[in-house]
Amino acid sequence: MREILKSLLLWVALVGVLALALGHGKPPNVLGLFIVSGLAVGSLYALGGIGLVVLYRATGVLNLAAGAIGAVAVMVAWQLVQWGIFAPLAWVMGLALGPMLATAYGRTLASRMAWREPVVKAVASLGFAFVLLGLVSFLWSDDPRKFELPTDKAAVMLLGLRVTVTRLVVVGATIALVIGISAALDSTRIGLQMRALANNRRLSSLIGIPITRVETLAWALSGLIFGFTGLMFGDLVRLDPSVITFLVIPCVAAAIAGRLQSLPDVLMGGLAMGVIESLLTLSDTFKDVRPIAPYVIAALVLLLMNRGRHLTFSGED
Amino acid sequence: MRISRSGLAGLTLAVIAVLVLPMAAGGQWLKIFTSTTAFALAAMGAGFMYARLGMVSLAQVGLMGLGGWITLRLNHAYGFPFEVNLLIGAVITSVLGMVLALPALRMRGLYLALITLMVAGGLEVIFTAHQFPNGGAGFWGVGTSFSATMRRPALGQSDESFLRYALVIAVLGFLLIDAHLRSRPGRAWALIRRSEAAALASGVNVTLYKTWAFGLSGLLAGLGGGILAASLGLLDAATFRASESVLLFALVVVGGARFWLGAVITAVLYRVAPGLLNNWGVDADLALVFFGAALLHAVITAPEGIAGQIFGLFKMEAANDRA
Amino acid sequence: MIALENLTVRFGGIVALDAVTAQVSAPVSGIIGPNGAGKTTTMNVISGFLTSSGSVTVDGVDPMQMPPHLRTRWGLRRSFQREQIADDLTVAENLWAIADNLAGSRATKRADIETALEFVGITAIAGKPGARLNTFERRLCDLARCVTGNPRLIMLDEPAGGLTVEETARLGDLITAIPDLGRAQVLVIDHDVDLISRICRETLVLDFGRRIAFGPTSVVLADPAVKAAYLGIEADHA
Repeated sequence: MREILKSLLLWVALVGVLALALGHGKPPNVLGLFIVSGLAVGSLYALGGIGLVVLYRATGVLNLAAGAIGAVAVMVAWQLVQWGIFAPLAWVMGLALGPMLATAYGRTLASRMAWREPVVKAVASLGFAFVLLGLVSFLWSDDPRKFELPTDKAAVMLLGLRVTVTRLVVVGATIALVIGISAALDSTRIGLQMRALANNRRLSSLIGIPITRVETLAWALSGLIFGFTGLMFGDLVRLDPSVITFLVIPCVAAAIAGRLQSLPDVLMGGLAMGVIESLLTLSDTFKDVRPIAPYVIAALVLLLMNRGRHLTFSGED
Repeated sequence: MRISRSGLAGLTLAVIAVLVLPMAAGGQWLKIFTSTTAFALAAMGAGFMYARLGMVSLAQVGLMGLGGWITLRLNHAYGFPFEVNLLIGAVITSVLGMVLALPALRMRGLYLALITLMVAGGLEVIFTAHQFPNGGAGFWGVGTSFSATMRRPALGQSDESFLRYALVIAVLGFLLIDAHLRSRPGRAWALIRRSEAAALASGVNVTLYKTWAFGLSGLLAGLGGGILAASLGLLDAATFRASESVLLFALVVVGGARFWLGAVITAVLYRVAPGLLNNWGVDADLALVFFGAALLHAVITAPEGIAGQIFGLFKMEAANDRA
Repeated sequence: MIALENLTVRFGGIVALDAVTAQVSAPVSGIIGPNGAGKTTTMNVISGFLTSSGSVTVDGVDPMQMPPHLRTRWGLRRSFQREQIADDLTVAENLWAIADNLAGSRATKRADIETALEFVGITAIAGKPGARLNTFERRLCDLARCVTGNPRLIMLDEPAGGLTVEETARLGDLITAIPDLGRAQVLVIDHDVDLISRICRETLVLDFGRRIAFGPTSVVLADPAVKAAYLGIEADHA
């Protein structure tokens, strides 16, 4: 808990300093507006990042097909709505594709690379991403589309900004996921097994942890998160399979902010990234390149992770 | 100085290509082949690094953009000949690449892949926001009212002669990598791939050699970008999106990261195939499905890629091209 | 002479080496002990892969002052539990890979490599690619790498792993002959007690990171405390 508070302090300090520097001389409600907007964007990154980290911890796979899985889910959901299927059912069916695709990949293809290095597993997931993206692009033409949820219509006013309920759902879901998964990892049996697996796969298999069962759960859970992220991206960003597929990149940035292991840090880092990106609008020099914020922050986190590292060897030694 | 059978085949092909291709190709195809050559250079850079060291760069096309940007900017700012602009562009790209990758070089391989992904994302943002220099004023050098020309090398003014020029640069780039592989860096890299601990215990400065490899790969990307700039006259941000870098790397693995032929196959698949498929009435999106499946296949079962399987068929492996 | 003085290594809460002290002067010495005793850890400390407290000196020089990759140039060589032959390189190139990092002219290095190949008896396969070597050839190639260029200290970690009885015997003969080649002192870790007793004049026994015996090999192997450590029973005077 103390670690989380320390992190929180660091992230808030970082955002605070930048807010003061950039917001200098501007009215406070303008600042508030950008912060709220940034939280909305950042929570999307954090959502994707959480799915990535949950899966990575359990299986060593950084699933670069996360965006593509989300793209499939939202395109199918959209199509089902177009065909007149009862909307909530359509969303659920689209959402269900998330865990289905992820688990299918995890059980058939990823399992054949189970003992290889993480970088190889990540590269392979790129293949899966292209297969999915290619299929979706092939099946649906390039026309512009909109994916809408009823929560888009309801909104609340926060610090002068009109925030749709959809965005609140995203923030709420992200927080709930972090709390829920962290709690499950800590207090359930399967959570314990997942932590053991993340720690040392070889040893875990030796002491009798049901690897396949734990991993399948991880794939399914992360697949569900990816599917949900896809639906949210489709609603809040753009319903474009290619765009959604490669939104995995800022989600990876959020995952890096969590050092690929700490869910609370993914959340805080993702939110901070969104807010900083938004605050950069206030700077004339940087406003054109503000989407670079997540990448710069991720690079800084990597630099910090590297400090004090004496020697490290890749692979088994 | 042993030349392997695959090396001999490569040199023969290179000579034929340099002499014949520019004459045989016409019109639009000249520019397409020049682009393909540029991407082959970049593919070679990413390929040797992955095959020999297991290092993944998901920013190679982005670094091409960086090289192209610098070459263009120098071209419009000063009166240096093309060769100077190209070299400076390539060297700066190489150095910047090394600086950006350095934090990850001492961590597990995945982190290098991830930081290059971040670099690719960052470069995409910069190129989209600031576009490419076209002779305008200011640091970014972008003007809206006119577009100055990009000076081509004296030996490569026409599309035909520039294709020849580009092919020669590509061959030189390949020979540069080959020279590395045959000497001390190549041996150090081989040890590092086997085990970084063993390499360290053999006296290899692991971080130095990994950085050097990344720098070499960046150099080739920068050269490719410069060539692309001179070929097209002006570069477009869409060419250098992060997704392009990711796709190129996927194709590097599919083509066969280890071999010169692999780099050629990669570039052809990347640059030529989608257009050809369109001409034949096949949806280019299906090409993406094929690429993805081929990547999965390559990673899971056939790490040698297409080039490796071809060479295996003809038993043309190079002396130091053992699995 | 290798002098270990209160050498201690900690990994978080675990003490991998606990104030190990020994003056190892025999041309070929052994380090033995049950799994997890700290044998490889000792070599890892000298190689520079771990931080430690206490000191290690070799002929009065403290190798810990040098960055790990420069210790090879100084004269340290090391083999690992798994053979470490680069598949991409031939046998000769594998030796060049280490010679690259030593002082001296190209001609000297070429001579050193030829000597090493000759000594180990693998000159005939100098051009064979690493990927095509069998286990014995790999172990021999590892050994050749270790004797290249007049080293001072050679550390061999289970050099006979995966070898048949005849191959182990041959390897043992070679190791015994190493000190006569030059100035090198050899440290050997192995589980094969016969091999250790044949080639090592002195042996250090570790258990749970502590030194439980050190001295002439035959004496050490007869020590009840050593037997107890291997069998996991309490010794009379532990």
